[in-house]
Amino acid sequence: MKSILIGGQAGQGVEKASEIVTEALRRIGYYSFNYRDYQSLIRGGHNFNVISFSKEKVFSNEWEYDVILALNDETAEKHKSHLKSGGIVILYKDYPQADEAIKELNLPPISKNSFFVGVLAKTIGMKKEVILSVVKESLGEKQLEIASRGYDAAETVFSIDNGKELNAFIISGSQTLGKAAIDAGLERFIGYPMTPATPVFHYIAAHQNEKLKAVQMENEIAVVHGVIAASYAGKMAMAATSSGGLALMGEACSLAGISETPLVINLAQRTGPATGLPTYTAQADLKMALNIGHGEFPRIVVAPGLPDEIYELTQEAFYLAYKYRTLAIILTDKHVAESQFTIEEFVKPKRKPEKFIIKADKNYAHYKITEDGLSPRAIPGEDDNVVVKATSYEHDEYSNTTEDPEMTVKMNDKRMRKMKTLEKEVMQLEPVKMYGNGSKVIVGWGSTKGAILDALRELDGYSYLQIRYLSPFPSKVVKEVLEKADEIVDVENNVTGQLADIIAEKTGIIVKKKVLKYDARPFSAKEIVEGVKHA
Amino acid sequence: MPELTVNELSTKEPITWCPGCTNFAILTATKQAIAELVNEKAVERKNIVQVTGIGCHAKIFDYLNINGFYSLHGRAIPIGVGLRIANPKLKPIVFAGDGDALAEGVSHYIYACRHNTDMTMVIHDNQVFALTTGQATPTTERGFKGKTTPQGNYENPINPLTLALSSGATFVARTYALDIQKTKEILKEAVKHEGASVVEVMQPCLTFHDTRDFIKQHLYWVEGNNKQSFEEAYKIAAEWDYSLDPKSKIAMGIFYQVKKPTFAEKLGIK
Repeated sequence: MKSILIGGQAGQGVEKASEIVTEALRRIGYYSFNYRDYQSLIRGGHNFNVISFSKEKVFSNEWEYDVILALNDETAEKHKSHLKSGGIVILYKDYPQADEAIKELNLPPISKNSFFVGVLAKTIGMKKEVILSVVKESLGEKQLEIASRGYDAAETVFSIDNGKELNAFIISGSQTLGKAAIDAGLERFIGYPMTPATPVFHYIAAHQNEKLKAVQMENEIAVVHGVIAASYAGKMAMAATSSGGLALMGEACSLAGISETPLVINLAQRTGPATGLPTYTAQADLKMALNIGHGEFPRIVVAPGLPDEIYELTQEAFYLAYKYRTLAIILTDKHVAESQFTIEEFVKPKRKPEKFIIKADKNYAHYKITEDGLSPRAIPGEDDNVVVKATSYEHDEYSNTTEDPEMTVKMNDKRMRKMKTLEKEVMQLEPVKMYGNGSKVIVGWGSTKGAILDALRELDGYSYLQIRYLSPFPSKVVKEVLEKADEIVDVENNVTGQLADIIAEKTGIIVKKKVLKYDARPFSAKEIVEGVKHA
Repeated sequence: MPELTVNELSTKEPITWCPGCTNFAILTATKQAIAELVNEKAVERKNIVQVTGIGCHAKIFDYLNINGFYSLHGRAIPIGVGLRIANPKLKPIVFAGDGDALAEGVSHYIYACRHNTDMTMVIHDNQVFALTTGQATPTTERGFKGKTTPQGNYENPINPLTLALSSGATFVARTYALDIQKTKEILKEAVKHEGASVVEVMQPCLTFHDTRDFIKQHLYWVEGNNKQSFEEAYKIAAEWDYSLDPKSKIAMGIFYQVKKPTFAEKLGIK
């Protein structure tokens, strides 16, 4: 594996340069993982991307680099101690030709990144026509000359293999989530901007049409009620937010629970508490996702670890939320949301989303008590003789407010019977995944998957249990795997090891060995290998 | 199609408002307004969705046999907005209290007006939190002695109608609950209006804020006002400061009614 760090100030086009390089690498047969590190500012500061690439699939980045492309002094200063032996720094000021080219070709200052993309390509030994074709496609004809001059100005240091194009594509977790929601049949996205959930909003807003609309409302509380209302009115709807945003949506999550209205939320976690580190990653909201909303009601929480399964689990979340008329949270984080992956295909969901709307008659009961707990759902606006009433109060089958103790028990039981039915169905999906055959087990959830998979290659005797459904929790299968394990190591991007607590609660198994990282940065494979060995 | 009767809009649920509560009058006016609107083919019954917040006003949900969403305290308005984002054929009638719309949910109130969301917001203004047994709301007069302000309410009231006007509402009216005929007429106009309609219904709380005599004495119905004029509407709306000053003049009627693009129109939602 080789790794390149591209760094500069915000506004210098670092992110774009990294995208061009990863796409060019794909065209010559390399998988890459592109980590994005940026600060909470728009101009200045220090932003960087790390591209780790290999002929084998790669799902995480290294923190040591073969090449550092420094578009400012700070990048070189900050990272040069992480240069691998034989690695090199490409420093902007060693190439005065870049500024000359900008002047001569009458280009905006940001075009400097085109020049250095050329320099970088030559340095690693990429063929000129490969990098130029990607520059042309993503930046336009006007950038070709400057990129070409950059290429010609540099020396080749590494000799990567200019092989056959991979039949794959590069995508971020956020883009995948947006696409998955649209493919699920999404009709209304309602949002309020919050890093790192905003790119999902951007993606969906850019794909609006007659049937799909994206709407910004005044705050997260308005957003979540808007989604609940849209869903009650018969549309497939969702919201995406980050940690503090979900906290604001708490009361409405409970409303979805008792009113039995489908509610799909993507929670893209960031580093807390409170404002924390807004543009950095963490897995610290697992317990919030599992508990948000007062009172007791069924919920679905899925935690995809890589984009291919974001596609799968997002659609299953829609399917389950609409079938079971309750809250579904798609738990991601800044790391999986904003990193870019080279993937070959999406994993198809095991259930196809639909809205489960019935045509009712005048005897319609919105909260019909049934054996499996599921009440068929009608929507308003279809028939003058059908009254569709949803409510936040405890109610009888016909939505009338009740304070009757017997009815209260009946309705609680009905709602929790849905959870039992839901559990059965989820067990038929793929609530956990196992990788490797080792008798020692690494257990994790969400975005640590990439680094764990990369680490597993170097961890003899270990296998990896990925828990994908956190609610309903696949207690039986988790217990079976962990009981047989010679050793269990919990890997999480948080301070307290939240999954270990959930495992203890659900299976009685106490996981003592934990590898926890909470510096707001994701794990590298190396950190996991070291951590697991010393746990 | 047979005429829709007020009876068909009623439910069998026992009504739990205090005896003589002014909400009974609002319920009656609402049923009459809906029946007439449906029978006049101004709106289809299936498309009407009542949305309620939490408070005494919201109990109307159980008494009106019409689609509905009984939401959370302060959140009736964003539910109404969500309905319009989902399906512009739906006609939300949002019932919210003064505490509900102007304290807990005031951001939503401002934004529903700003977006000119095509729905009717009926503000049941009793100038008190009643279901929580008598605390000051944003429209309670200064000096009111409630259980949380035994020393007397220390702020001047917010005027919901000047707020609605400044925020962009395109239909603004005030009515008196105990004038059922007038309330019905105003509600009908509000529902028919395409855009954000705010109807403040003064509805004294017999238990915690009984201003029936005061309002009756000081109200007058506006006539011949220029409803297209923002300035005139604002002046009429601002005339009363929600105090119990004996010199108060409380204007009632439709103050403002203009046509502007609605939220759904602006979003291109059909």
